[in-house]
Amino acid sequence: MSTHTHTVTPAPAARAASRRRGNPQRSTQAAPWLLIGPFLALFILTFALPILMAIVSSFQRVERRGLFGEEGVSTVFAGFNNYAQALGDANFITSIGRMILFGIVQVPVMIALCTLLALLLESASARWPGVFRAAFFLPYGIPGVIATILWSFLYTPGLSPLIDAAKIVGIEVDPLGSGMVLWSIANIVTWTYTGYNMLIVIAQLKSIPGDIYEAAKLDGAGPVRIARSIQLPLIRPALMLTTVFSIIGTLQLFAEPQVLATSSTAIDSGYTPNLAAYTNAFAYNNYNVAAAQAVLIALIAFALSFTFLRLSNRGSK
Amino acid sequence: MVGLTRRQLLGYGVAGLSAALLAGCASPALTRPGAATLKPAARAGERVTLTYWTWLKDMQQVANMWNRDNPDIRVNVVPIPQGNSGGYQKMYAALAAGGGPDLAHVELRTIPEFLLAGGLTNLSDYGADTLSSRYDPTLWGQVSYLDGVYGIPQDSGPMALYYHRPLFDRVGADAPTTWDQWADIAVELRKAKAWIDCFSLSDAGPFAAFATQAGARWFTRGAGGWEINLLDEATLEVARFFDSALDRDLLITGYGAFSPPWSAAAAKDQIASLTSASWADSILADVHGGAGKWRVAPMQRWANRGFGSSALGGSTVAVLAHSEHPHEALRFATWLTSSREGIDAEIASGIGWSPTPDYIGAARTQPVPFFDGQNYNEEIMRPAAADQNPDWEWWPLTFQSYNILADEFRKKAGGQSLVDGLRNAENQIIMAMKNKGLTITKAAR
Repeated sequence: MSTHTHTVTPAPAARAASRRRGNPQRSTQAAPWLLIGPFLALFILTFALPILMAIVSSFQRVERRGLFGEEGVSTVFAGFNNYAQALGDANFITSIGRMILFGIVQVPVMIALCTLLALLLESASARWPGVFRAAFFLPYGIPGVIATILWSFLYTPGLSPLIDAAKIVGIEVDPLGSGMVLWSIANIVTWTYTGYNMLIVIAQLKSIPGDIYEAAKLDGAGPVRIARSIQLPLIRPALMLTTVFSIIGTLQLFAEPQVLATSSTAIDSGYTPNLAAYTNAFAYNNYNVAAAQAVLIALIAFALSFTFLRLSNRGSK
Repeated sequence: MVGLTRRQLLGYGVAGLSAALLAGCASPALTRPGAATLKPAARAGERVTLTYWTWLKDMQQVANMWNRDNPDIRVNVVPIPQGNSGGYQKMYAALAAGGGPDLAHVELRTIPEFLLAGGLTNLSDYGADTLSSRYDPTLWGQVSYLDGVYGIPQDSGPMALYYHRPLFDRVGADAPTTWDQWADIAVELRKAKAWIDCFSLSDAGPFAAFATQAGARWFTRGAGGWEINLLDEATLEVARFFDSALDRDLLITGYGAFSPPWSAAAAKDQIASLTSASWADSILADVHGGAGKWRVAPMQRWANRGFGSSALGGSTVAVLAHSEHPHEALRFATWLTSSREGIDAEIASGIGWSPTPDYIGAARTQPVPFFDGQNYNEEIMRPAAADQNPDWEWWPLTFQSYNILADEFRKKAGGQSLVDGLRNAENQIIMAMKNKGLTITKAAR
């Protein structure tokens, strides 16, 4: 018994010692996993898995027998059939073309506008920059759906003071008509996101060291020259970032046309690529074609962003 | 163990989860009538709770009346967005996940779409056939498919003509009895800077209703699959009529009825009439300054064919596929839609026309002050509800087909005729049906 106790006593101490030695080692191994665990779980569940499922689903097709499928329903491998269906749909192709046109006009206008606002607010002669910065940023705080409802009243004939005012000067406008509604949406998007992009540009402007400005002033550079030769080249990364985000955002346009469709007959159920995919999936119960459309939208957004980065990198060399 | 687990476990986890999710996402299939395993009724004394998804307002108050008298079958109402604005999307997602409510608000035209998704319980299996005598035969026809019954009619939308009396007086017109007279009045109204109505290029619903009135039948269930005919005599006559009216600029095309611009124009006395369903009365009553100006007349007819009225809208209370208590759900649905107590309560919640010819609802037997004391529900809507095209059938892709039609109608602004639009739409609908894996042929004509 005594020998037994003797041999046993040191054991917990040794175990404790080894635990003390082993603990930091093991916990350094476990710590990163513990820390990224919640993120990783959510990332896999809500991001990686849905993408994987969309890709799998885009290669499947439902077959039905009978008037409603009452004689049998089966899901079969479809190859590229769904992609062919999506690309063969003239409305879907039109909606992609529409968004590219939208992007070509709206993105440069918005980036130019946000750069101009940022430069004005960061110039030495700016009055109350804090107030104006907050005012320009304010529209971003209004959710897209609410912003669209607000704007839709300004677009509605009979309700809008803007249309009445235009009529007084002799201009007949129909912001909800088929010719103009795309630019009415562009206006809402520009109104919402210019302030947000402006803030990114301002952040980059603030990181320009003061001595560069001092040196420029000593060399006799005026505000325009400073903007052209110092600020614009140095905020290039911010401009690239906002442009890529805007290109992706353009292809994902959804809430504005969806809400505006209640006031405008010119917006159909597939007005933008995302709206088309949504309608296919949830209104037509055609998840497979919708998945193919979603994959195509992602590929196009990727290709466009990549092209833009390539082009602008080549320009800088 | 330690070396391989984390990454591999993660990998297995991802693979397993995705397999489970993919399997869970397979849409349920419709079972042949009679082939389903019946779910048992609740035992005596067992308490059952039913969930009911609907976009009618304040329906829990209606359900509470039932709950008070039926403590063993409690109905909980969950409000959802209206139909295709999000309600159906929610139901489809729930069905695909193997769940969903016991009872749900499904429009008549959407029943076949839910059949295609395998989303409805066949109520014939639970004794619904004995209920048919309570309901309007046209409506009962629109819930009966494949020898089964897939929803209990809740309301309908028999159509009539609402007209603005002072504007009609200004051009010296009475309510038209035919569409040709209606077009003549439209010409006069245009001279008086008013419009007779809208023709929404983005909503095919009213056009389909007008064609239905003329006697159209777009889809037929054949032995070998579906048969489509968007270009039958009746539809062609309606399309040519509206082609002519639109070419003469007689109708507003920029917006549809009940949209914000329509309300604004109506409040300025620029809209002289509205050919719409019985439920449009409450929307008209919200038009600013409209009280006392509006009257109701029977819908204008097509000269040599068709029916006295048509229908716009109409809903059912359906029992969804995964309900565990179809017996009890059917009992509640029957009480709700065919008892006097249920109908009166539902009218307060905003239902359209009563689905039971025997009882239109107490509130609807009275003269209505907004329409200058006209008792139009008794005088006009009741006969309209009985004068319907009984042959019209809905098909499994109604919503998509209406969108296809609207896309083609929009081309009217660019010069394409409605007739050509129908021809194009027919081909696209055939394609869409085939893509769904269904069999469809063009009717001989």
